[in-house]
Amino acid sequence: MIDATLHAFALLFTGNADLWHVIWVSLKTSVSGLLLAAPPAVLLGYLIAMNRFRGRRIVIWLAQAALSLPTVLIGLLLYLLLSRRGPLGELQWLFSQPGIVFGQCVVALPVLLAFTLAAVQALDPRYAETAVALGASRRQVMLRVLYEGRFGVMAAVLSGFGRVISEVGCALMVGGNIEGQTRTITTAIALETSKGEFAQGIALGIVLVTLALLMNGALMLLQGDAHAARERG
Amino acid sequence: MSISIHTSISAAVYENENQRLRDERRKALLGVRGLRKHHGDRLLFDIERIEIATHGAYVLTGVNGAGKSTLLRVLGGLERAEIDSLRFACEDVLRVHPYPRRLREAIVYVHQHPILFSTSVAHNIGYGLQLRRLPKEEIARTVADAMAWAGVAHLEGHNPATLSGGEKQRVALARAKVLQPKLLLLDEPTSNLDGAAREQVIELIPTLVEAGSSVVIACHDRDLINLAGVQRMKLRDGHLELR
Repeated sequence: MIDATLHAFALLFTGNADLWHVIWVSLKTSVSGLLLAAPPAVLLGYLIAMNRFRGRRIVIWLAQAALSLPTVLIGLLLYLLLSRRGPLGELQWLFSQPGIVFGQCVVALPVLLAFTLAAVQALDPRYAETAVALGASRRQVMLRVLYEGRFGVMAAVLSGFGRVISEVGCALMVGGNIEGQTRTITTAIALETSKGEFAQGIALGIVLVTLALLMNGALMLLQGDAHAARERG
Repeated sequence: MSISIHTSISAAVYENENQRLRDERRKALLGVRGLRKHHGDRLLFDIERIEIATHGAYVLTGVNGAGKSTLLRVLGGLERAEIDSLRFACEDVLRVHPYPRRLREAIVYVHQHPILFSTSVAHNIGYGLQLRRLPKEEIARTVADAMAWAGVAHLEGHNPATLSGGEKQRVALARAKVLQPKLLLLDEPTSNLDGAAREQVIELIPTLVEAGSSVVIACHDRDLINLAGVQRMKLRDGHLELR
């Protein structure tokens, strides 16, 4: 165990090309998926939070339920969609990085939506009313409300990133864990461990833990800032 | 002969009365007929008629829960209600929902506890002007004038979250004033203030009318109710009484 851990640090700090490529693929697909998911998810979260319509509670229930959807199930659904005979088979995204990006986008969407919805709902309704009373258009009201709820929205984005970088099911099913192409941190850990190559698994685990610590640190800072702003208000 | 004189006097009286009504109608900034608001099954108010004169100042009183704030919010387009007819600045407003742009730009509602955006005092005051895409220099000049008017010039770059209740209220008044609204709806502007902060806000209100706005103030504050030149309205049992 100690030998494997020491070897893991050595792999990380000696710049093992395979290892860092896996990390690069993971970061690239996760950030791309997140960037694709963020605009529609934040917009939908805002619209659901701000509007009263028939079936709203069902939509919120579904969005929150989607948070606990196993990523392997999302992976299975996307596999069926992207497989050669599936409705999106022509895209030829299965076992490719665009496929993983698509998967990460789907995985991140409910997290971003539910957290944005909660952040906007928690915001004082007078922000929107004041903007309206001062003559803001619908788009301007949205921008103002999202700005005032920016800590919550950023927390949503960070939580979304945490979810996509650490998920294994969807990346494995849609990406196929192909070396040098679609191997991500989590799929590589699963593979290396099954092969008894613990050092590489531990090294990638260290990267994941570091990312998790950074994400949570950023979240705590944001929550601290939001709390301080409320206290001052 | 006497019949002819009598007829011409009646015609003159009739014409005078008509002229008076026409003048009154011309002076009326806002005229609402048949305004009803329900909260669920409960009828909150059923107001036959509201007339707000151009450059008029009004206080709206009534017990807590009478619907004062709701009435101002309805007039300010923040809440919906049933309205039979609405006339604004001598023109009939045919559709009240969604709230017409023309009214939105002319009527400004200020909350009882105004909320300031988490930017700066100056940005808050200039926010409505930015929405109207005015030139930057004009916005800066207008904001500077408004800050001096409200006595908050020393707070220009401050984070609004650090302001006192009175300062927030004055910034909110300045933020509304820069838009030169035809009608300003103030919801209990002194309710959470005392001492000098309250007096400073009360002193600003007549100057809003002098600047050209009609003002309707929902309040319980005796000093506001007794301001010179202010007409009184009272919401009682769902009806509006003019005093």
